[in-house]
Amino acid sequence: MSARNWGTELDLSWISKIQVNQPAVLRRAEQIQTRRTVKKEWQAAWLLKAVTFIDLTTLSGDDTSSNVQRLCYKAKYPIREDLLKALNMHDKGITTAAVCVYPARVSDAVKALKTAGCTIPVASVATGFPAGQTHLKTRLEEIRLAVEDGATEIDVVINRTLVLTGQWEALYDEIRQFRKACGEAHLKTILATGELASLTNVYKASMIAMMAGSDFIKTSTGKETVNATFPVAIVMLRAIRDFFWKTGNKIGFKPAGGIRSAKDSLAWLSLIKEELGDEWLTPELFRIGASTLLSDIERQIYHHVTGRYAAYHDLAMC
Amino acid sequence: TLGIPFPNCLHLPQAWLDTQDRRLGHYVSGKWLKPEHRNSVPCQDPITGESLASCLQAQAEDVVAAVEVAGKAFENWSGLPGASRAQHLIRLAKMIQKHQRLLWTLESLVTGRAVREIRDKDVPLAQQLLQYHAVQACTQEEVLAGWEPMGVVGLILSPTFSFLEMMWRICPALAVGCTVVVLVPPASPTPLLLAQLAGELGSFPGILNVISGPASLGPVLASQPRVQKVAFCGAVEEGRALRRTLAGRGAELGLALGTESLLVLTEAADVDSAVEGVVDAAWSDRSAVRPGGLRLLIQESVWDETMRRLQERMARLRAGRGLDGAVDMGARGAAAHDLAQRYVREARSEGAQVFQAGDVPSDSPFFPPTLVSDLLPASPCSQAEVPWPVVAASRFRTAKEALAMANRTPRGGSASVWSERLGQALELGYGLQVGTVWINAHGLRNSEVPTGGCKESGSSWHGGLDGLYEYLRPSGTPGRLAYFSESMNYDTFGLAVPSTLPAGTHLHTSPHSSPTAPYGLFIGGRFQAPGARSSRPIQDSQGKLHSYVAEGGAKDIRGAVEAAHQATPGWVSQSPGARASLLWALASALERRESALASRLERHGVEFKAAKVEVELSVRQLRAWGARAQAQGHVLQVAELKGPVLRLREPLGVLAIVCPDEWPLLAFVSLLAAALAHGNSVVLVPSGACPIPALEVCQDMATLLPAGLVNVVTGDRDHLTRCLALHQDIQALWYFGSAQGSQFVEWASAGNLKPVWVNRGCPRAWDQEAKGAGPELGLRAARTKALWLPMGD
Repeated sequence: MSARNWGTELDLSWISKIQVNQPAVLRRAEQIQTRRTVKKEWQAAWLLKAVTFIDLTTLSGDDTSSNVQRLCYKAKYPIREDLLKALNMHDKGITTAAVCVYPARVSDAVKALKTAGCTIPVASVATGFPAGQTHLKTRLEEIRLAVEDGATEIDVVINRTLVLTGQWEALYDEIRQFRKACGEAHLKTILATGELASLTNVYKASMIAMMAGSDFIKTSTGKETVNATFPVAIVMLRAIRDFFWKTGNKIGFKPAGGIRSAKDSLAWLSLIKEELGDEWLTPELFRIGASTLLSDIERQIYHHVTGRYAAYHDLAMC
Repeated sequence: TLGIPFPNCLHLPQAWLDTQDRRLGHYVSGKWLKPEHRNSVPCQDPITGESLASCLQAQAEDVVAAVEVAGKAFENWSGLPGASRAQHLIRLAKMIQKHQRLLWTLESLVTGRAVREIRDKDVPLAQQLLQYHAVQACTQEEVLAGWEPMGVVGLILSPTFSFLEMMWRICPALAVGCTVVVLVPPASPTPLLLAQLAGELGSFPGILNVISGPASLGPVLASQPRVQKVAFCGAVEEGRALRRTLAGRGAELGLALGTESLLVLTEAADVDSAVEGVVDAAWSDRSAVRPGGLRLLIQESVWDETMRRLQERMARLRAGRGLDGAVDMGARGAAAHDLAQRYVREARSEGAQVFQAGDVPSDSPFFPPTLVSDLLPASPCSQAEVPWPVVAASRFRTAKEALAMANRTPRGGSASVWSERLGQALELGYGLQVGTVWINAHGLRNSEVPTGGCKESGSSWHGGLDGLYEYLRPSGTPGRLAYFSESMNYDTFGLAVPSTLPAGTHLHTSPHSSPTAPYGLFIGGRFQAPGARSSRPIQDSQGKLHSYVAEGGAKDIRGAVEAAHQATPGWVSQSPGARASLLWALASALERRESALASRLERHGVEFKAAKVEVELSVRQLRAWGARAQAQGHVLQVAELKGPVLRLREPLGVLAIVCPDEWPLLAFVSLLAAALAHGNSVVLVPSGACPIPALEVCQDMATLLPAGLVNVVTGDRDHLTRCLALHQDIQALWYFGSAQGSQFVEWASAGNLKPVWVNRGCPRAWDQEAKGAGPELGLRAARTKALWLPMGD
């Protein structure tokens, strides 16, 4: 990952004047999905690139060491070897960007990846994921324990109560403490935008999270009723650009939840390219949180290489 | 590693062109026509210059033949029940749906526009238009009772407008029962394809005929005697010329002119979204916005921020072949390129900053997105229309100043306002003198929403009910015949006032008869002596001198128009209720004056009973229009938009009315009442033979109405008509007089393109409800503005 964001002093003037017009953002979101369609070999190239942005995720109550292990293997070998060979990409070390699990599964993941002999980072959700409705003390402790277990990226959820009641200083202070608790680990802050009521709040929460020292801002937990949507992403990306213009710090972006098809992932890539530019199209600054997306991408690549649509049994499960 | 491919979708339009042996003719009466011995023009790929086909150029006789066909088809088509016409339109919509891929690839191939816009916006809108107008056709007998189709419509399109502009006009025309002849510029195959699709439905082949030919054929089509309505869409100067050519030719003229639009960005805006609005308006190949450039007004406090965001955004734009699915903008041929280049060069030499960016092929016909700033209002470039793909940005300090800057152009097409403050947004939205205002959006369009303009952008409408009325006239109106007079000399018509001398003894028939008639010009709320200081005698029905009226002239008209302009803001801001009560008060005053008015009319040969009836009707008319003042405009709910669209009925401004000789009191009052009820201020020229009743009414208006709201100027009618018609600051003119006068008015109105309504020398039955108080008056007394208010949080 890139240089760390140590945050800035809280400056409420950065959020006080902001205006977000929801219908206009909705229209932009609609356009952006149709303006950059890519086909054929360009599509295959974009899809392989998308693989390298995936935080391959399992966040279920029934996770055990066996399915976590399977996940880690898939992270290391995301696309069937023969398909990569056909594209002459087999020696490019294509893996997913990270694996993402619950805190209690971090040690399983670290062990599995070590066995597989690879250095893919392990990300852990924390701070009372997904609702964040636990005491600050336990939330901080959760971060520390996950880091101790070997997680190098921590996906924290913010306290939505503070956003909805407009307590921006308190929000800043909390995230600041998360930052400290992470130590050397990267802080990815989940805004749970589906629960923030308005796009203006999304912008404000994004800006506060970045000022407080987040390395990434992430749309959602995947557990809200509304998850990663284009309008929300546009607002967050604009906040990232504004923060970059003000401080020179590049903050990463991670949409998560509901991104299932290869086509979706392409739209997300083009969104980043359009709103922030090519510099953000690297795993240091862009991630996609997903669990089933990878298999659809693999199916599309299978089709591109063989000209046939794959049966389920043609590709490995994860 | 990330490139963008160019999909191979050329074969479809090529195959279609092959079916015509790469030689396109005209599509008339359901058949392709390829007459011999015609010039042909190559239809070229605007990017490669490769010749795609050759297009035959029509000659006058082809136009005549096409109008003949449309005229025959009209007899049958207009007689059908609305439901049958609706069926036919629906079938056409389905036909388009089935062949949409051909349609969008062909249009993109020949125009160079981004295929994405055509595929995702234009083609669905074309279908929506057909569907909407099918519904209108179906309910026509009920909703539009009292109206009938005009007849053959001549539609003239200029090269920069897309096929969608044709759809906007043919759909309402066909729906209400008109038939159409479209003249398209050379080398525009898409309208021909549409005509072919319509023709292949089998039935009613002659209702839509498309011929392609040079612009010089426009007047030929427009002045065909069977053509009752001409719709033109093109450049301002072409529209002006057509207005002049068509004076006295009979057909109604609907103009949609100019290509520029406007965007006002305030400090309360969501700047990033407003920047997207600029992209939509200028660099997106959208046909929904006017096809030219954009005038951008930015509040000074957010100037730097906006410029930075705009420039950043421009860098991400891609231009390329329209058929490439991932381009934002295509190219529009060499002419558009050269126009843009000239403008930019000129702007630079006038000291403007020019910024260009984007991923754009460097060779002509591509032209990069261009942002011109710091152009001062007095520089010649600021006066000219901004061409595609240029955005001309300038700054304003306050919302009030923005309004003043925006309204200080002769153009009045469309504009968007970006502000999150509701009050400010509405203030600007209501204040802008344009046909369409979008709040926090740009370039939205829907078949239900009337789109039009004012000032030099032309006053015609398409979409919604307003669009239907363009092709309708009140039932029973005789067909429009030419009243053109070859001997008409525009330079001298009404130029000199014949001198008048004292005309004999001022006779009173009896000692009890009416008191001396009021004397003077009623200007600015009081009677004034005329500038010429002379008078003209008015004879009664026995040819004896009744009285003298003041001889008004050019200076008096100037004064009257100034007075009217001063009264306008006050009257516009009055609530409809207040307007109604003033009209009602005037009605009561007229009632009190009944016997005096009746005896004035009697002296002019009106029978006593009829005179009484005329006064009574006049009173009733005032009350009726007073009541209608309250029912103006309505809210539209549009399918894909969350939030309302307000259809506002706004006053025209200063309305000049030359009243007819017939019904000297009733016509005067009817016209006046309709004009006032809609918020206009007026300058009237009363009946020439019998102006005294009107002057009597002025005595009441002097005490009841705000000064300057109504001005009445007597004098030589031709002379006064000339002064009014040539006045640039009169917003509309109604003329009821001679055929010659009508012709002159139509010719002279080309100056500021004011909407005119002329009677072509035909008297009107003012005592009949439909003529004296009908919806036609109400339609003409105000203009429509659509105000889009998207909502969401």
